[in-house]
Amino acid sequence: MAAMFSQNPLMNGPNYSFNDAPKVNAPEGARQHRFDPYTDNGGSTLAIAGADFTIMAGDTRHTSGYSINSRYYPKVFKIGGTTADQHDANLVLSVVGFAADGEALKERLDAICKMYRYRHGKPMSVKACAQRLSTILYQKRFFPYYVYAILGGLDEEGKGAVYSYDPVGSYEREQCRAGGAAASLIMPFLDNQVNFKNQYVPGSGEGHALQERERKPLSRNEVEVLVKDAFDGAVERHIEVGDGLQMMVITKDGIEEILLPLKKD
Amino acid sequence: MADRYSFSLTTFSPSGKLVQIEYALNAVNQGVTALGIKATNGIVLATEKKSSSPLTDPSSLSKISLVTPNIGMVYSGMGPDYRVLVDRARKVSHTGYKRIYNEYPPTRILVQDVARVMQEATQSGGVRPYGVSLLIAGWDEGILPEEEEEDSTNEKTAQAEDEQKKPTGKTGGILKGGPMLYQVDPSGSYFPWKATAIGKSATTAKTFLEKRYTEGLELEDAVHIALLTLKETIEGEMNGETIEIGIVGPPADHLLGVEGVEGAKGPRFRKLTPQEIEDYLTNL
Amino acid sequence: MSSPFSINGGACVAMVGKDCVAIACDLRLGLQALTVSNNFPKIFQYGDNVFLGLTGLATDVATVSDLFRYKVNMYRLREERHIAPTTFANLVSSSLYERRFGPYFVSPVVAGLEAKTGKPFICGFDSIGCIDFAKDFIVSGTATEQLFGMCESLWEPDLGPDELFETISQALLNAVDRDALSGWGAHVYIIEKDKVTKRLLKGRQD
Repeated sequence: MAAMFSQNPLMNGPNYSFNDAPKVNAPEGARQHRFDPYTDNGGSTLAIAGADFTIMAGDTRHTSGYSINSRYYPKVFKIGGTTADQHDANLVLSVVGFAADGEALKERLDAICKMYRYRHGKPMSVKACAQRLSTILYQKRFFPYYVYAILGGLDEEGKGAVYSYDPVGSYEREQCRAGGAAASLIMPFLDNQVNFKNQYVPGSGEGHALQERERKPLSRNEVEVLVKDAFDGAVERHIEVGDGLQMMVITKDGIEEILLPLKKD
Repeated sequence: MADRYSFSLTTFSPSGKLVQIEYALNAVNQGVTALGIKATNGIVLATEKKSSSPLTDPSSLSKISLVTPNIGMVYSGMGPDYRVLVDRARKVSHTGYKRIYNEYPPTRILVQDVARVMQEATQSGGVRPYGVSLLIAGWDEGILPEEEEEDSTNEKTAQAEDEQKKPTGKTGGILKGGPMLYQVDPSGSYFPWKATAIGKSATTAKTFLEKRYTEGLELEDAVHIALLTLKETIEGEMNGETIEIGIVGPPADHLLGVEGVEGAKGPRFRKLTPQEIEDYLTNL
Repeated sequence: MSSPFSINGGACVAMVGKDCVAIACDLRLGLQALTVSNNFPKIFQYGDNVFLGLTGLATDVATVSDLFRYKVNMYRLREERHIAPTTFANLVSSSLYERRFGPYFVSPVVAGLEAKTGKPFICGFDSIGCIDFAKDFIVSGTATEQLFGMCESLWEPDLGPDELFETISQALLNAVDRDALSGWGAHVYIIEKDKVTKRLLKGRQD
């Protein structure tokens, strides 16, 4: 009961902790052992695929409960380059949820992509990497990586590709996806602005005669503005999102990283 | 327990009269005269402070009371009964209105609430009617947009429009806002007035008011007339100490106690200080 | 899921425009995942330009809307005038707080124009009557998060009636499409100085 009304968020949600406190009202010497291996570190991610590019984005705040641990803790990573600086990487992974698991997952996927490169003499395709990531996640089906991952890159035809995952490896290729704390705030906005959901051609009729607004791929500039607007909205209404906006723009010429400020309150 | 065997003392006489109420009115008609005059931009309430002994401290006696920031009242009749009613009026304006709507009651609503209290005393067991008549004066914020003043040249077209115009409310007064003056009697009946008087010399005062009252009166003129009327009926000396005047006028921001609070409006009802009364008396 | 606020589902949003306000709601009534009705409006009118949106437990939505119908009718008879939006908002607040320790499970939204000045007014409440006076928009219901995301990105100051209709409609429609407990069509009211326009939106029927 005390924990229910506690002002300390660490006492409410799941947090990384060991506990072997003596049980109240238990026989002498009986102890209850608990292991809570997960923490939610907040934050949000977003990915949009364009005609010949993909933009992956995430805020850089790292929280636990109501505390801000860091104002610059990236969630978006280049994957599978030959070197540590990832200058020749062609894939981007974003992870949100439990940051430690995210970090571990990133390291593991990066190592696998690198091994693939050494063995095959070519970088891994997004499609292949996407399938491999699913396998990695499912292998830990009963002690999952507590992360919502999104993988972005360019497919074999050079079109933007976004793959989104649940924590146990269920995945899907999509045009766009929001993940993390503010996913529910951002996702309907994306439906509306990227996939033109609920938009119809004016004067095209009523009921079933209505014609949906034709979907056309957005330009890189339009998508960048959309991403910024989406995050500005999320920052306003979600306390776990803010500080910085990290964007990775994947084109055939490589990956460009952009860092923009977000509100810090 | 007590109310089980208590019966109303106010019962009908065979001729259909409630004599207890008539007795209460007799008490009122022996009271010190009080009067109220409604002007276009405010109201004045006035009465005489009569003390039975030269040893009393007149500044401690107060017969005109503030009920809400925009409503005040005065009485004629029994002082103790009046103080009970002031308490009830102040209480009911909060419990019955401000705590519900977060705004003070319009004058008519308050008058009805006070009238209900007085009526209940004529029908309940174990109590007697209140021995007072009240004059309640207040200012209501209007609900409808203020209408343009029509000048005489437009009178004909205005008349034509009037025929088409639908009445927006039964009582134009409360919708348009402005000054309101009511009298409440021990029976619980109440009447709106332009100007009236209650108490010992009510008849004389009303006759005088009928002569002096004109439409389109301004507050300053109303105060003047109030003092003249009082002078007709007063028994003692007339000065700042022996006269009490309450006015409903423009918001008195100097009584707010704070400055620079956005949207804060001072009370419209306030009592004139003895000095202010003296100033009016010298200009009489 | 067993929270009384999310058994029946539903969403409501109000927005301020230039000399106008808008209020909109979805039409779904459900029992957990089962949809029972697709014609359960959650907006009620209490004067020429006073509107109340109620989301939450459907039985309380019905009870509370009727309670305010009674209270507003009594106000009108007693005071011989229509209730103003701000006065109504305070009435809602005090009525809900009266049930402080056994609340109605509703999240009300008030929208209207001040009769005298024509000034837009919106506000929202928690279930025990704490008022949230907002200058921009108010959201409530099971799709609050989605609505916040939509409103925060679509709304801008000084929208005209037509633009405001488009904005509030898109905000509601796209928000409820991402909430399984809301949707199945919508009602949208655009309130102007001397005109109220009510539109029915079909929306996705799933």
